[in-house]
Amino acid sequence: MITVEALEGPQKITWCTGCGNYGILAALKKAIVELDISHEDYVLVSGIGCSGKIPHYINLNSFHTLHGRPIPVATGLHMANKDLHVLVHTGDGDCLGEGMGHFIHAARRNVDLAVFIHNNGVNALTKGQFSPAAPRGYISKTSPPPPGSPMEPVNGVAHAIVAGATFVARGYSGDQKMLVELMKAAITHRGFAVVDILQPCVTWNRKLTWRYFNERTYSLEEAGHDPTDRGLALQKAFEYNGKIPIGIFYRTEAPLLIDGLSLPDVPLKDHVTDRSRLQALIDDQIL
Amino acid sequence: MDLSINIGGMAGQGIDTIGDLLTKVFVKTGFYIFTVKDFESRIRGGYNFTQIRVADNPVHCSVDDIDLIVALSKDAISAKRDQLVEGGIIIFDDRFDFDALEECHYPAPLSKKAREVGGSTRMTNAAALGALLSVIRFPFSLAEQVLTEIFGKKGEKIVEANVRVARSLYDLTEETFSGSCRHNLSMIDSIPSENRLIINGNQAIAYGAMAANVKWVSSYPMSPSTSAFIEIVSHANDLKIGTLQTEDELASLAMAIGASYGGVRSMVTTSGGGFSLMVEALGLAGMTETPVVIYNAQRPGPSTGLPTRTEQSDLLFTIFASQGEFPRIVLAPRDPLDAFDVVTRSFNLAERFQVPVIILGDQYLADSVMNVPRIDVTNVEIDRGKLAADRLDDPYMRYRLTDDGISPRAFPGDRGRFIVSSGNSHLEDGHITEDPAIRNAMVQKFLRKITAIKDALKPPDLYGAKTTKTVVVTWGSPWGAVREAIEHLEHEGVSIGHLHFTDIYPLRTKLLKDVFTSAERVISIEHNATSQFAKLVTMETGLKFDGYITKFDGRPMTPRWVILQLKEVGI
Repeated sequence: MITVEALEGPQKITWCTGCGNYGILAALKKAIVELDISHEDYVLVSGIGCSGKIPHYINLNSFHTLHGRPIPVATGLHMANKDLHVLVHTGDGDCLGEGMGHFIHAARRNVDLAVFIHNNGVNALTKGQFSPAAPRGYISKTSPPPPGSPMEPVNGVAHAIVAGATFVARGYSGDQKMLVELMKAAITHRGFAVVDILQPCVTWNRKLTWRYFNERTYSLEEAGHDPTDRGLALQKAFEYNGKIPIGIFYRTEAPLLIDGLSLPDVPLKDHVTDRSRLQALIDDQIL
Repeated sequence: MDLSINIGGMAGQGIDTIGDLLTKVFVKTGFYIFTVKDFESRIRGGYNFTQIRVADNPVHCSVDDIDLIVALSKDAISAKRDQLVEGGIIIFDDRFDFDALEECHYPAPLSKKAREVGGSTRMTNAAALGALLSVIRFPFSLAEQVLTEIFGKKGEKIVEANVRVARSLYDLTEETFSGSCRHNLSMIDSIPSENRLIINGNQAIAYGAMAANVKWVSSYPMSPSTSAFIEIVSHANDLKIGTLQTEDELASLAMAIGASYGGVRSMVTTSGGGFSLMVEALGLAGMTETPVVIYNAQRPGPSTGLPTRTEQSDLLFTIFASQGEFPRIVLAPRDPLDAFDVVTRSFNLAERFQVPVIILGDQYLADSVMNVPRIDVTNVEIDRGKLAADRLDDPYMRYRLTDDGISPRAFPGDRGRFIVSSGNSHLEDGHITEDPAIRNAMVQKFLRKITAIKDALKPPDLYGAKTTKTVVVTWGSPWGAVREAIEHLEHEGVSIGHLHFTDIYPLRTKLLKDVFTSAERVISIEHNATSQFAKLVTMETGLKFDGYITKFDGRPMTPRWVILQLKEVGI
């Protein structure tokens, strides 16, 4: 069994004091400790931004990729070795802006990945510009008042449900207990699992604060939500402002991408093409 | 014997079918062929042609001079008539008004007979085939076999109807075509060629990749690369290869990088515009030292350019693509057979040096068909490069600083070690750093590979005497046309040599320097407007060419064109 200490990351954390990412990292470590999966079989794939740095703060296999591209990299990795548990850590700017196309297509492919969106409504590492999930009116250097960010936010949960994700949840960095459970469920879910994780950016975002989320979030499970109903899940996904539901919105089973490809029984990595068979296929074409 | 046949008509009239059929007939009976296709970016209509060169010696390019035109539309007559040799034959449907009739022109009742005998004008192509076989005095029985094979998939009735239509025109032509200008291909006992495998460049790329144990191919469709991807997809179930048509090109390369990090050989296929979209991921492969093979079947640009035609104008873009500096390898096959060799080497080079390898094909290479000896895929050498030993006494470091610049690879899932990769500047253990000393050490590690890569690449081929007055320098697919042109000129007594590059970048410069020292005049010939390879040579060596021959109309070079251009620059 792995311990939290053994997962201790090799690098000094550079997130701001009070950042919501600490809660995400802590929940991730707990989830890994609690799950009965060899820690050598995890791979963290991250994009760019504050979320992208998480692989350096935890001692696991990892690939820190490009802005917006962790999902296709993770997809290729999962294809190469289906025995691995591939976890994507991505920000809302990363996943729902630059990477939106990849996110939607991975959801409809039902790639067996667990995607954790660090959602703080800002592009933080580039110093506070509005991100795709920023509320309308969010004020930043690139969106001065009035009117602030001049558009509606991307609704990651709703997009995931519509696109075909088979596990869609929203977590909150300030609710560790639930977040650990959501992460565990996402990691063990067979299919494309998304956990949109609310997290305050204490430096830039004056609206989406710890207090803001503490006062508004409530548990879907406690409210008796039925996560097998897709229509209801979508309805809940649009509930915002006054109250913010967290927990599992939707969970279902569907064929995986790997089920639809001609992959061998062993991981692709361990498979060698039968070249005599290829030779036969070519020789068949000799006139 | 060296005969050139042009079959032209509208898209949708079955030009391809006759072209494929004839190609097979000729190869089956022992001839060498080289077939090219010329088509517009549309699904039906327009004017397309297939040109087949049939010879009793190996041929490696298409030619300008046409001996025989088969015209299924009126455009097909007017478009190619100027290229018809003296005494050349035009077979055309007698529905067309064409009053400039000469002895060798043959208005045949193609569509009429197709309807009467086969029951549908859709068999006009079979009728044309019958007329053509008769004019070249080709035994019908041999053609019938191949016809049956090709149409076989469509069911007995259709095969039988097509054969009947072809036969009727064959017999009718025997009786009615009065022209004396016939060719005689009936002496097929000699069988000059036993090369009975017909492939095009894209098939060769696909076979090579599969022989090299490619296990993941992700691509977004784009002419003229698509058929290479489809060839692999169509064998994926048999051979258990992971393939996926992705949402865009950047996703394709990002997936291939993820797959390679996971331990499999991976590849993407694309054309220049798609490669543009991949450039961001190309840099990721460079920084993370992830091996990957990118096949770029070039077409004329910029932007959408000429989508179905040929050019070699992505060379400098390929070499410089991406922000930052990192080693990469660029290879350009000269013909379909060479493409097989190039692609199998490219996977070994990618893994040996942990760099992206880009194969620069083009539409001409991709779609050119030739007959080649049986390809043996069972003995293709696979070199996965430097892998981390199983012993775990040292902590594993993905980017360990080594003398040769190459750090041993390991794959996620290995017991007792973590594999950490990053597109940011990183430490030996893969974790990010902004430390200036480490940054320097890591860049130097990268760049140390270049010397070894140069040694691992093939030197260019030098043809002709060591000291010819003129030397022509080429790369990639113009090889065939230029080779034939130069052999012709040598025959005429011109003092001319030929230096050809398949392995382009990093550039090997020794033979170039020798050639520039010994020859009076060095001329570059390229399929682009700005002599990009010549620029690369000048950039790397300071040597300047004495003449630049360029072609950028989207159409392939021919030996006659090359000779004319060389004469114009004064050889």
